[in-house]
Amino acid sequence: MKKSENLFLLIAFLLIAICTYFYVFPLLKNSNEPLTKEVAELTIDANLLVKSFAIDEQKSNELYAGKIIEVTGTIKEITYYNNRTTIILNHKNRNTFGVICDLNHTEEKKSQFLKPNQKIRVKGICKGYLKDVILLNCSIEVLTNE
Amino acid sequence: MNKILLFLFLSFFMADLSSAQNQQIARQGQVSFFSYTSVENIEANNNQVLSIIDYSKSKIAVSMLMRAFVFKKDLMYEHFNESYIESDLYPKANFEGTIIDFDENLASQTKIIKGQLSIHGVTKDIEIKTNIQKNKGNYTLDGEFDVLVKDFKINIPPILASNIAKTIAIKFRFQYQPYEE
Repeated sequence: MKKSENLFLLIAFLLIAICTYFYVFPLLKNSNEPLTKEVAELTIDANLLVKSFAIDEQKSNELYAGKIIEVTGTIKEITYYNNRTTIILNHKNRNTFGVICDLNHTEEKKSQFLKPNQKIRVKGICKGYLKDVILLNCSIEVLTNE
Repeated sequence: MNKILLFLFLSFFMADLSSAQNQQIARQGQVSFFSYTSVENIEANNNQVLSIIDYSKSKIAVSMLMRAFVFKKDLMYEHFNESYIESDLYPKANFEGTIIDFDENLASQTKIIKGQLSIHGVTKDIEIKTNIQKNKGNYTLDGEFDVLVKDFKINIPPILASNIAKTIAIKFRFQYQPYEE
């Protein structure tokens, strides 16, 4: 009798532990953490990404929005509005369009050494398109200029 | 005939050029909102808000992606986008308005902007008190206003009603740059 009671308690405890792990922890999670360990779903050139959104925003949203993507491109400028470090990637033909990459705080140190026209690869979550494509929570990797 | 065409073409071209000259753009405007209740405080920031101001016509337009709001917890982000704002159906919030009695030469002024705010597919007339600064030819706009959750047909389940304020405070700040075409 005693044994079966203990067994029951053990199972109940295990069940609670499993539930906590799978259901309660995700509720407290905060995904504003760097994406360095995450794998990007796809890699695309900045020009192509902007072009795709400019041609068909709805379809591009289905393809890219909400996903972790890697974008390669050249830096147009680095801005520091509202205490955020943001890298804007060029669009080769049109000056007014580009990709806005909002950096994760942990990546800000790296951005000090970046210069306009440098080639980089940015990994971030694509949020959609206004006049530019917007990527949040970005991490960066410097590429060699060819 | 050809001269008239040329004249028309030129006048169109000039009109286009002059309108672009009178515009300034902010691509990284900031919009934050706050919901304070005794149970929970919710705060979210969007640092990628697009705004264009046409200072010769005193017009302003603002557009933002709802999914670009950053919250402290993932669950807040999920509730906001999936249950309340329904970002898949209404991915953007927009504002279009006119600055009343705007004087483009003043360095600092506080004016009312009258216009329409669209959130969650609902458009509402609104008046916003705004501080307008002009520094080295570039404008900066900032201000605060309140919106009612029920005005925008946002349904909050009764179980969560105590977690979300009935009135949401919204803060904004846009730093404009010349609009180069």
